[in-house]
Amino acid sequence: MKKKVLSALLSMAMVAGVITGCGGQATQSAADQLEAEGVEEIPVAETQEETTEAEAPAAEAKELDLSQQVDLVFYVMGDAPQDEELVEAALNEKLLEKCNATVDMQFSTWTDFQQKYANEITAQSADLIYIANWLNYGQLASSGAFEELDEMLDTVAPDLKALVGDANLNMCKVGGKIYAVPNTWAEYVCNGVKYREDLRAKYDLPVPDSLENLEAYLLGIKENDPSQGLLTVTTEESQGLKTGFDAAWALNFKYNWVANNGLDYGLAANYDTPSDVYDYWYSDDFVDDMKTMKRWADEGFWSKSALSDTNNSDAYKNGLCVAEVAGQNPNKQITAIADFENAGQGWESAYVAYGETNGVIYPGHATQNGTAIVRGCKDPERALLVLQAMLCDDEINAIVQYGIKGTHYDVADGIYKNLQEEAGETPTFPYEGFNTWNLRNGETKLPQKTDVKLQEMFDKYADLGAKTKFPNVNIYDGFSENYDSYSAERSAVSNVMRQYLAPLEAGLVDDVDAAVEEFRDKMKEAGIDKCREEYTKQWIAYCEEYDYK
Amino acid sequence: MARDLDYEPSAPKTIKKSTGTKVFEAIAYTLLILGSIICVLPFIIIVSGSFTDNATILTQGYSLLPRDFTLSAYQTIFKSPKDILQAYKMTLYYTVVGTGLGLMMITLTGYVISRKEFKYRNTVSFLIYFTSIFGGGMIPWYLMYANVLGLKGSTLAIWFPALMSPFLVILMRTFIVGAVPDAITESAKIDGAGHFTIFFRIVLPVLKPGLATVGLFLALGYWNDWYRSSMFSTNSSTWQLQFYLYDLLNATTAMKQMASNVSMKTADLPTESVKLAMAVVATGPVLLFYPFVQRFFVSGITVGAVKG
Repeated sequence: MKKKVLSALLSMAMVAGVITGCGGQATQSAADQLEAEGVEEIPVAETQEETTEAEAPAAEAKELDLSQQVDLVFYVMGDAPQDEELVEAALNEKLLEKCNATVDMQFSTWTDFQQKYANEITAQSADLIYIANWLNYGQLASSGAFEELDEMLDTVAPDLKALVGDANLNMCKVGGKIYAVPNTWAEYVCNGVKYREDLRAKYDLPVPDSLENLEAYLLGIKENDPSQGLLTVTTEESQGLKTGFDAAWALNFKYNWVANNGLDYGLAANYDTPSDVYDYWYSDDFVDDMKTMKRWADEGFWSKSALSDTNNSDAYKNGLCVAEVAGQNPNKQITAIADFENAGQGWESAYVAYGETNGVIYPGHATQNGTAIVRGCKDPERALLVLQAMLCDDEINAIVQYGIKGTHYDVADGIYKNLQEEAGETPTFPYEGFNTWNLRNGETKLPQKTDVKLQEMFDKYADLGAKTKFPNVNIYDGFSENYDSYSAERSAVSNVMRQYLAPLEAGLVDDVDAAVEEFRDKMKEAGIDKCREEYTKQWIAYCEEYDYK
Repeated sequence: MARDLDYEPSAPKTIKKSTGTKVFEAIAYTLLILGSIICVLPFIIIVSGSFTDNATILTQGYSLLPRDFTLSAYQTIFKSPKDILQAYKMTLYYTVVGTGLGLMMITLTGYVISRKEFKYRNTVSFLIYFTSIFGGGMIPWYLMYANVLGLKGSTLAIWFPALMSPFLVILMRTFIVGAVPDAITESAKIDGAGHFTIFFRIVLPVLKPGLATVGLFLALGYWNDWYRSSMFSTNSSTWQLQFYLYDLLNATTAMKQMASNVSMKTADLPTESVKLAMAVVATGPVLLFYPFVQRFFVSGITVGAVKG
């Protein structure tokens, strides 16, 4: 009897072993769990902190003791370039001279990088680390993963502080403390409309820079060439809690808070008065806009099956549509120009950013590319000094970003030129070969050939952005919602959006007024009020904290 | 020696098969043929796809024979043969070292916990089984190797963690218990053999099927693993083959995804046919290896130490 029980237990154990053995390693759930663990279980190196505090005198800009050599590990994302060691040797030669320190670049590779990033921080084996909002910078910083930099920036790296500027550093604050140093290259990822300039000129149509002109442009093409497809919009770019259907992104021409900008749950706040939150889904404007959408759908701007279609990212490239309104950015426009040139059919692509019409435009958030010092670092002050050298020292910055001049790259007319690529070889150290997007210095960054057009666009946006209330500050992307207390309501709201908002925005309903009423009722049932209340509270607190008033 | 005593199942040819047997064989053969077709078909499609022009795959779909025969996918993969050959070399090294050492350790452990005279065998067995149910989790596992043992970046970290697994130890113990009856070891003991003699001269020779099975499991595990490279490698020259290929795919998808938010150059995505060619390159050697090990499975059934 005893034996039977034992063998039953053992066989269960074996089955369990097989199941966990197979599933445990790479599945998503394990990764999630790890992330949660990684965030919570970061051991705080108390002793380390105390000693640095004790050593740091209160005085301004002190001289660091550089007599001891420090070997630092710099953890970055992506794959290593082939000439990693060669460039590292050149870099360390300079760093030894200036900071008596060396840097060993370590790469996450793109496999399981999120999990490995969490491991790296938990293990505290790196000293300097790449940070970004898509790598949960805010969460990690508030759980104590990084060293506080406020004081050290003054004492150790005043040049760095001056270069980056208070506005940028302010955006990297978490709970009032600075934990990261952002790059200083303002990058605009502003959404807009990509359209066919050649067709617009051919049929003498208006530039689609407003809802009316976009409609006129599309109608004009439809009249002149009925067989031409107009928009290939789907629900795929609208998976968040802002819009349900991609065509609704065009409403950005009318309001400055649609789609990627602005707030969730059908809430709205003007860029000039961010803490003044008001309602959109229950307003008359919403009904009017949905009627516009219905008119567009009836005109046949998009397919009747748009709601179930999958996104064809090559549609524009192959001439299947004449404009794209969702998920676009200047970089994609540059790609489209190159694609059309390659196709050689005389097609031309042009771009109108929504911000050019609605007046609100800003670069990417500072936490999009930054560097932090991992808590438990061997020598945080030296690490910061090295970081300062890598960003502010032109010579060192050039080695990190472009490799060795004459071997890997050269500069002609102020433009970066990869020597191996020109010779038809695979580059052993490509542009930004260490993937150090966090070490871009806006003042000295060498443009690549394709960057010239991009930079022209950026300059235009920078002028516009300077005129806004918060000049060239992205006030939205620093906010992260904590929905623990209403996650059930949140997912119910998300479902109602997919089911009722998407067909409304796609104009695929018979009676707009009735459909709007139904959508509003369903939203109430799903618990929209609770979501809105909590979300607004968090948003206003965020605006207060960062002084966006 | 054992061969002479073998009875082939179909040996008595003079005896006529009954109708029942014939029906049974007909059904069995049909099912087995269907089964093997189901197993082989996808692989044929993969191989044929890897030799097909990518545009043809996209427009006309997959076929059993390549429609537009081309070697371009393989040319893409072997464009920089140095990297892929290095990855092959490392995988071979990990597989050979890992399987060899692992097999030795598993067999020795299996022998010890199968001995009745070992008083604490149940406790030890339990401790081994226990780890298959309760593990420390990802983070402690990682910290153990990276921080405590300091193996990050070394090749040891790639083959060492997988040397033994509870499942294989149990399997080996069962094999030993089944293949070596107590009577044999007892008689050897009476003749004055110690544990080493018993293990090497009595147990090991009859354990071939067990060694083949466990060895194959180990070797396949090492050959197919990419995870430990991903976790512990700091230099691409220590990468396993599977990780090299897997990362090639991941890098391009990640780049493409990120390009919508960040200014960066996007590499060309590997095409369908390149992905298929990768699958062929990675699984090819295992396919060749299998038939050679397989005969041990078959012969193992009829080989035994106690006859008649």
